[in-house]
Amino acid sequence: MGAKFRTLEREQRFQNPPTDQSVYPLLRDAVSPHIGSFNALTDGPDGGLLNLAVKDIGVKTIFDSGDENRLGNKLKIRVDAVQLARPAVAPNDKLSVSRRTFPSECRERMVTYRGKLMMKVAWTVNDGEEVSEVRDGGLVPIMLQSNRCHLEKMSPKELVDLREESDELGGYFIVNGIEKLVRMLIVQRRNHPMALIRPSFGNRGNLYTKFGVQIRCVRPDQTSQTNVLHYLSNGDVTFRFSYRKSEYLVPVVMILKALVETNDRAIFDGIIGSDTSSSFLTDRLELLLRNYKAYNLNSKNETLAYLGDKFRVAFGATIDVSDIDVGKEVLNRIVLVHLPDNADKFRMLLFMIRKLYTLVAGDCAPDNPDATQHQEVLLGGFLYGMIIKEKIEEYLQNIKTQINSDVSRGVTVNFNDRRYMSKVFQKVNENIGQKLQYFLSTGNLVSQSGLDLQQVSGYTVVAEKINFHRFISHFRMVHRGSFFTEMKTTTVRKLLPESWGFLCPVHTPDGSPCGLLNHLAHKCQIAVKASDVSGVPAALAQLGVSPVDTFAAGPKMCCVQLDGKIIGWTTHEQGKLVADALRLWKIEGKHNLPRDLEVGYVPPSSKGQYPGLFLFGGHARMMRPTKYLPLDKEDILGPFEQVYMNIAVTPAEIVKGVHTHVEYSPTNILSILANLTPFSDFNQSPRNMYQCQMGKQTMGTPGVGLKHRSDNKLYRLQTGQTPIVKANLYDDYGMDNFPNGTNAVVAVISYTGYDMDDAMIINKSADERGFGYGTVYKVEKVDLGQSRKRGDPITQHFGLGDDEWPAEWKEKLDDDGLPLIGVKVEEGDPICAFYDETSGRTKVKTYHSSEPAYIEEVKLLGDEAADQECQQLTIKFRVSRTPLIGDKFSSRHGQKGVCSRKWPTIDMPFSESGIQPDVIINPHAFPSRMTIGMFVESLAGKAGSLHGLSYDATPWSFSESDTPADFFGEQLRAAGYNYHGNEPMYSGATGEELRVDIYIGVVYYQRLRHMVNDKFQVRSTGPVNSLTMQPVKGRKRNGGIRVGEMERDALIGHGTSYLLQDRLLNSSDYAQTPICRSCGSLLNTQKSVPRIGSLASIRCRGCSEKLEVITKKGVYVNEADIWEDGHGVKFVGGDDTTTVAIPFVLKYLNSELAAMGIKMRYNVEPK
Amino acid sequence: MSSPQKEAFSAPTSISHAAQGQAPSKNLGVRYNCAQCGASFTLGKTDSIRCKECGHRVIYKARTKKMVQFEAR
Repeated sequence: MGAKFRTLEREQRFQNPPTDQSVYPLLRDAVSPHIGSFNALTDGPDGGLLNLAVKDIGVKTIFDSGDENRLGNKLKIRVDAVQLARPAVAPNDKLSVSRRTFPSECRERMVTYRGKLMMKVAWTVNDGEEVSEVRDGGLVPIMLQSNRCHLEKMSPKELVDLREESDELGGYFIVNGIEKLVRMLIVQRRNHPMALIRPSFGNRGNLYTKFGVQIRCVRPDQTSQTNVLHYLSNGDVTFRFSYRKSEYLVPVVMILKALVETNDRAIFDGIIGSDTSSSFLTDRLELLLRNYKAYNLNSKNETLAYLGDKFRVAFGATIDVSDIDVGKEVLNRIVLVHLPDNADKFRMLLFMIRKLYTLVAGDCAPDNPDATQHQEVLLGGFLYGMIIKEKIEEYLQNIKTQINSDVSRGVTVNFNDRRYMSKVFQKVNENIGQKLQYFLSTGNLVSQSGLDLQQVSGYTVVAEKINFHRFISHFRMVHRGSFFTEMKTTTVRKLLPESWGFLCPVHTPDGSPCGLLNHLAHKCQIAVKASDVSGVPAALAQLGVSPVDTFAAGPKMCCVQLDGKIIGWTTHEQGKLVADALRLWKIEGKHNLPRDLEVGYVPPSSKGQYPGLFLFGGHARMMRPTKYLPLDKEDILGPFEQVYMNIAVTPAEIVKGVHTHVEYSPTNILSILANLTPFSDFNQSPRNMYQCQMGKQTMGTPGVGLKHRSDNKLYRLQTGQTPIVKANLYDDYGMDNFPNGTNAVVAVISYTGYDMDDAMIINKSADERGFGYGTVYKVEKVDLGQSRKRGDPITQHFGLGDDEWPAEWKEKLDDDGLPLIGVKVEEGDPICAFYDETSGRTKVKTYHSSEPAYIEEVKLLGDEAADQECQQLTIKFRVSRTPLIGDKFSSRHGQKGVCSRKWPTIDMPFSESGIQPDVIINPHAFPSRMTIGMFVESLAGKAGSLHGLSYDATPWSFSESDTPADFFGEQLRAAGYNYHGNEPMYSGATGEELRVDIYIGVVYYQRLRHMVNDKFQVRSTGPVNSLTMQPVKGRKRNGGIRVGEMERDALIGHGTSYLLQDRLLNSSDYAQTPICRSCGSLLNTQKSVPRIGSLASIRCRGCSEKLEVITKKGVYVNEADIWEDGHGVKFVGGDDTTTVAIPFVLKYLNSELAAMGIKMRYNVEPK
Repeated sequence: MSSPQKEAFSAPTSISHAAQGQAPSKNLGVRYNCAQCGASFTLGKTDSIRCKECGHRVIYKARTKKMVQFEAR
């Protein structure tokens, strides 16, 4: 039991942070996918992904002639290189001592942590000498702790000096003072053709079937292009791709013929190989080749020209490019873009066709796109790079449009004139940084191409710092894509055995994102760099794999592929040996093979997965360490190979000749948070899921440098403790720096009745000693410049003016008009004063919250140029939150409860040694939930506190023969306590011994952030909706709580009609309204204008007749019967009205119906 | 919970500051601290928000020297 408290160690570390490196390397590893992927943008042998991207964008050609028959001068423009600078203060700033901008300043000033993007734009005129200019691409948000961040490689001491946490992880961006991160997304595994059966494939058109083979090809700059082969019911195969969000379909033979100079025989052999016995295959191939004859294209160039002609418009090719070259461009940009060589593309395409035919014949199974085996992770940094690439391409496109519009408008266009070129640059929007800031702050992807992704929004999330658990989980979170959230089928949400060790089976939320929002297992890493696979072909050749041009095809042979490139063929017997040898060699470190090479050997099977030897060494793969038994060394596994391997979970279960690997620890399958649940192996599994959720909602310690943060809302637990019972990983991840709860003496007893139904009783004295005491920090930003337009003079000044203002303001405000630090404010109190020049009066902003708060901090914020007087500031309020009745607490076992009473200590039960519980929970919380882990924790906590020890609670560390009940029972016995953890207890009220022994121990309790003070809602009368006159909803607006259908049903069921009427009518939209007895109308009644000597009366306009009409008829009318409306029109009759009580909405319904030409008539009784 | 005060006219309890003939002092006597270097200084009404030492753009208001007292219960 290796757990320790390490109190002094920690205290010393806080006093003197290490000057070399962090003590918690695991934390660094946890965020490394984010930071590594961002670093890859600018780092690497080829100048980083950004520079690869601009190379891939290529050259834009522009002509300066508006004439269709003449080309004119040719301008070729491209972006030669991209650079990203570190965040710095504006160049015109002369006051700052340091040029560097640090993240803490950005958080406090609520601005973006960003660095300059510089693009070297190069151009040639008429293929002459290249000229270049460095253009400013705006300020791009920079990821913290990346190689473009000042905090990179800083020691904890330096970080603390810069107002960061001592172990600041980075991995996120600061956008407008808010911490944002790009979340990881699950996408299809790159460069591996996947056989699919999708009914929707059949909807593509006539003859289309549900069969397809899909490959997601990734370029070196990490942008991707998906290619799909469709099987048509006439045996044909179509190649589908989407380009700039439109879909295109091309016969696959056309692509084949355009790629290389080939003939039908070569295609036939490449797909079928030597095995011509299957007439299914030969028939289909004959059809495939025969169907293509209709195009009458034979040579490679003919085909290319045909393709080029068709795609000229879609690809925006200029007229100086030949059709053949356009065709080549199409192949380059679309077809299997991960392969630079056409011959490789050709071979891979043949392989895909064969896989498709095999799938159709039913000789191989479709691949499961929901299995981790066929997935990889799209990392934030890579996505960021993809967006930058797209924006740069858009920039070049904009230059082209700008010049073209100049040409058509008749502006003199002179490419050789530098002044003209800079004029063009100025007219084009160069601010790429702003677009990235938009992406980060909204998570919306604005894109022409769609980036080969399925969603347009939801790419970024706020890295909430509610507590450290929440914060760290954000960086381990992988999402399946918002496309799947609306899917009705639940297959994508399933937990598959393939994800063992890669995705945590426990840590997923319940409810709508269940199974779509997963968390990486804590040992799972994502490759942010491609491994060096240059030695693989040589090693394969040495192992006897025949070269690519071997006469071989189909599933009867073992195809060897490396990152989606066919590099040889061998037999299946040989293939197995080759795979084993490769694994041995790579772990030995011989033959220049990387340790993390994924050796996915798929054995031949009857109608199973398509066989072959698939090697992967690229980016974005999931990887995890296991022990390789033959060498007793570490092996890095991927999800593709894992499926076909035998990995023992514990050393005890290794079977000789079967297992090749063993897990380092069975806890490797759990995420960071799931690992922290003590004795989670004793709990029913959903309870562990609940704990993962509740751990993230705990009022804990978000960080230490709270003074330097300006989050809208921060929760803080005053007296956090280290748990007595904790897993060893708890310390490895440095969770003690951010305590999340308190150890409490918990008695499981039904006492007083106030612990029914998941309620818990808190010892009043424990509460007074500070159990669960917390604070909420709220920050309000006051910006006087908000109403002012840019360039307008300042008219509002912070401070008290010379006019007259209430003297009691001075109780809260200082001479500078800002609140006194430490003063208590209540609703309506002034929190800052400013003098308004236009009205000549001093005004105040008031505090709007029913909860009293204390002014914690006032921060004056300078603006970007910092030459103005103060215009914005933030005020931090401290709201104290003692535990109240109605606040939510939970243990670490998904056992949440609400505080129902603070029971006086004198009335609490006590044990023989005089211990009184801090918390009482009801025994009924256990039988159905089966959280045995909580009992064990209670036992261990009790033993630990008796002996002054901390105990390890790592799951799967006990067994049937060595039970924790026995282990901790003996500890208890040694301390003179009952072996089982029960104790005789005495009633606090009567002093009598209770008739049963009570299970009492020490459990770590978390206080959750859901507190009554944020939730309670009460209303007698208040605001109503003006249309329906019914009470509004919402706590914020002082609205009511709806008595809905079900509540109504219950009231009807009880026969409580008076109550029903009270709720639904009297307390809602009760209204008295006049109605006409004779015509039954609600809408026709109106008030008459009172005449002298009489009162106004209610008349029905519909039942009365105009006086002039009656007089025309010659009927005598008594003067007393005449009434007059507001316009002075006189009427007679319509006096048969009365007043009824109705719900006001009825009137509204009436008017709506009247608008549709429907008349409502009410029979009024008694007559 | 007291309701927000209505901005009705109330007779000033003390004679208005302007009427007392006080020239508005440029320096209000409130101290501020730089968020970066911790330097303590005062600020005039129209001064730009810059640390006088290091030019940093975030400035904290220092805790008041006045007595702040609440009912402790």
